[in-house]
Parts: sequence; structure tokens; C-alpha cells
Amino acid sequence: MDVLTLNGITKYYKRICALNNVSFSVPEGSVFGILGPNGSGKTTMLGIVMDILKPSAGSFLFMGEPPSAAMRRRVGTLLETPNFYHYLSAERNLRIAAEIKGKGFEQIPSVLQKVNLYHRKDSKFSTYSLGMKQRLAIASCLLGDPDVLVFDEPTNGLDPVGIAEIRELIKNLATEGKTIIMASHLLDEVEKVCTHVAILKTGNLITAGNVDEVLVNEDIIELGAADMPMLENILRSLNGYKEIKRQKEYLQLLYTMGTANLENVNKFCFDNGVVLNHLQLKKKSLETKFLELTNK
Amino acid sequence: MLQLLKIEWLKVKNYRTFWILAVLYLLSIWGANYIGYSIQEKIYASKEAGNMADMILGGRPYAFPKVWQMTTSATSYILFISGLLMIILVTNEFSFKTHRQNIIDGVTRTEFIVTKMTCGVIIALVSTLVVFLTALFFGLIQNPSDISFQDSQYIVYFFIQAVSYTWLAVFFGLIFKRSGIAIGVFFLYTLIIENVLALIFNRALPQSYFLNGIGNYFPIQSTDELLPVPVFEQVKKQLDEPDINITMQLSFAFAYLIIFFFISKRKFETDDL
Repeated sequence: MDVLTLNGITKYYKRICALNNVSFSVPEGSVFGILGPNGSGKTTMLGIVMDILKPSAGSFLFMGEPPSAAMRRRVGTLLETPNFYHYLSAERNLRIAAEIKGKGFEQIPSVLQKVNLYHRKDSKFSTYSLGMKQRLAIASCLLGDPDVLVFDEPTNGLDPVGIAEIRELIKNLATEGKTIIMASHLLDEVEKVCTHVAILKTGNLITAGNVDEVLVNEDIIELGAADMPMLENILRSLNGYKEIKRQKEYLQLLYTMGTANLENVNKFCFDNGVVLNHLQLKKKSLETKFLELTNK
Repeated sequence: MLQLLKIEWLKVKNYRTFWILAVLYLLSIWGANYIGYSIQEKIYASKEAGNMADMILGGRPYAFPKVWQMTTSATSYILFISGLLMIILVTNEFSFKTHRQNIIDGVTRTEFIVTKMTCGVIIALVSTLVVFLTALFFGLIQNPSDISFQDSQYIVYFFIQAVSYTWLAVFFGLIFKRSGIAIGVFFLYTLIIENVLALIFNRALPQSYFLNGIGNYFPIQSTDELLPVPVFEQVKKQLDEPDINITMQLSFAFAYLIIFFFISKRKFETDDL
């Protein structure tokens, strides 16, 4: 069953189109990354799902049912920024969240321990650092042990150790079988923890699917010779690559990851009477792939 | 609803700003009337001035049964502080963005706004209770044997006015979202702007018998008219000024309450938060 299904969600802020007819589904048990640069509509989309923004058009289903407050109580959500009462302590803030979700207070110590905030449970929220605020928000999401978690930029404001901890926490939650929907502009974050990904750019859904399908990696062989037209000509009869690209000075052969073999290519060219003056294997970075996807 | 009110209680329980203001406000209800009472005592200290005052006032304003009208009327001048308390409760949510978090965590938009309005009713109830005790206090020290609940309908009028203030405050909080501007506009509106508008309209439009001055039916004014200061009543009678049309005033007051309620509710239900 799909945890979340979006059907043509569109959102206008006055004349600006923040989301344009976005549709996709989040399968149960997946770690679903919503990837996109700043301002691509990630938070707007999650805001609509959480009923704090009203869509201009379109609809969505939560666990196959129309959205409701009762459903939101069963989801742990961190949206955009940690929102707490500044004058209350961490524990008292979590009591409010627990009360709203209809859960008892007895879980509060354990969720605070999970995010390493237990020793500061009596400090006022206003005294917290950005990273601590973020961790408190994650603790609040964990209240009531929900099956679905929604994290919008969960590692925002955290230091490298904190980032690693949160990633570990998300991975652990995923192994417990929870569905996690995570918005991020950090590609390697998505790559490291997500099983599925949807890519948004200026409100348009560019692609969605399994991470290894969408963010597929490629090997690139770059070649150069004195007679470039001749080189290109003979390469047409070479097998194994997916695509040939003409760059300024070199030619590029694109291979599925791990299948490029420099020796074979070199030998092939030599055997066909072309001596190479440039031959290099390049690993295509995810960053390039992401930029490529979002610059279409 | 009880569970939602418990959540509100968790929010304010440890909020010192709110409690300092609330306690000072409730003490000021007694304080404002103590000032009025002291002036009365000063006037009645001399026999001549007392006779004159009797002529103008028609008896001591802090004695039963006039004390009900006097206390509520005097207190209505500081009722805007109850609006301040309400605005803080609303705009805090906006500045901490906790209104969003509450919805995200599972309160419905309707529950959220209706709970805030209910808090307004609670603030109004507490204000009314303190006014009632204050009136009783001054009436009793004036003359303990004279206790009377005649004219205590002013307590009910006061409650209606108090709800008007808090619900208007909720509305202003929703519109402006920031406490500074919401409080500023609310104070200026309830203390000055509406009175000025009422005066201008009353002057510009000819008074009909049915609506003796359209300005008297503005949102706050419509309840203010129910709580006139008990002076010059004899003089007014001599001048043949039309009596206050209680039914009309109450109808307008209720109409405004319904309007505040539904506009605020609709706004919070449909806005992007």
C-alpha cells in the first residue's frame, strides 16, 4: 500500500507557481527523499500534506484515505523549522505535543535520550542552539512511535557529528520498517539514506522512482586523437557504451557504472588505425547528475 | 474541548508574562473602583457637596443597587487589557509558528481557533467574576445591611462586553499576526478610533427614534452603551434624552459576536498558515 499519493497538486502564491501539477506515490516502508534546490517547492508540498497550506488544485491520499487530523497524529513531522514555545522547557514543549497526539508523557525521557538532549530537558527552548532545537524537533516527531515520519531538512543546522547521528537514527528507523519522507537539498544525504527519490525543480516534478534508477551512476571515458572525425567514425563500431558525446576537445563515451574498460578501448582504436593522444576514465559525480537533472 | 483546553493550559501554565499581566489586570479592576470610591467619599465628606452630588448622581454610586452599574461601567475602561492578554495568546502562536506545529501534530484548524475563542470567554468570565466580587465588596463596605441584587443585570452586560473585547482581540491578532501592531491597533481602535467614528457618524446622520445615533451601534460602542456611567441621569431625564434601547443594543452586540466568531473561524480555516 502507498503511504502517500499525490494527485496533481498545484499551488500558487498569488501569481507565483510554487508547485505545478505534482503527482507521485510514496510506497510503504520506503525512505523517500524529496530532492530539489532551494525554492523548488519541497516545503510547500509537505505543508500542503500537513494541512498548513491549502493547495490551489489537486488532492492527496494518506494511507489510501482522505487526509484528517487523526491521521496527522499518527505521523511525526518536522517541517522547515523547529516550532516550540520559547518560554517553556524542552520537556514541557514535548508534553504539549504528546497531549495533542493523544499520547502519554512517559515516552518523553526516552525520545529525549534518543537525540541526546535528556541532560538539557529542563532548559528553556530559547536557550537552545540551532542544532539542539533541530534535535528537539526530531525528538517530538518520535513521540508515540509513529509508523510514518516526515522530515524537512532534518540535518539543518547540525554539526558533522550531529548530521552523522541523525543519519544513523533515520537508518535505524528505516530498518524498524517505518516509512520516512525526507526533503533535502543535500544530494549525498538522499543518496546515503533513501531508497526512493523524487526530484523537484521550480515546482515541477522532474522524476521519481528508485534511487538506483533515478540517480544512476555512469563511467565516462574521455578520448582524444589528432584526427577527431576519424576517431568518432571508428568508435561508432565499438560496442558496450550507452552514448557518445562530442565535447570541445575530446569525445566522451558513457558507460553503465563499472563496465568501462580503458585497455579495450585503447586496443580497439589502435587496431583501427587511430592513435590516441588522450585517454581518461572519469567517474561522474552525483552532483553533476543532479545538476543535469535539474537543469533540463 | 476539555482536552483542547488542557493543551492551552499547558501553554500558559509556565508563561510568566501572561500571569504578571493577568494578576495586575485583575487587581486593577478593584483598583480602578477604589479610585472611584475614594472620589465619592471625598465628595460626600462635606454635606453641601454631598447634597449636590445626590442631585446629579441620584445617590451614592458605590451603594446598592447603583454599585452594580458603577463598578461595571468604571471597569469597562480597563477592559482593553483583557484584549491585550488575548492578543498575546494568539500572536505568540504566530511568532513561534506553533500554530503550524499544533495543526501538524493533529489539532484541526477549527479546533485551534475555537479553542482560542473559548479562552476569550474564560478571560471574560474571570473578569466578570472579579467585577462581581468588587461590586459586592464596595456595596458591602458602603452599607452591609443594604445588600441588593437589583440592577445586577449590569454584570451580564459586562460579561457580554468582555467577550466582545476578547473576540475582537482574537480577530486583530489573526489579521496582524505580530503582537506589536495588533496590540497598538487594538488599543487605538477600542480607546480612540471607534469613539471618534461614532461621534462623527452620530453628528453626520440624523438620529431616528429607532436607532438613536448609528455610532452607538458600532462593535465596542454597542456594548459600551449598555454600561453608562451613572451620572447626570436626572439631568438627562430633564433634557428628555432618549433612553438606551437595551434590546437593540443587545441585538447588535450579539450580532457582532456572531460576526467576529465566524469571520475569525473562516479566516483561520482557509488561510495559508
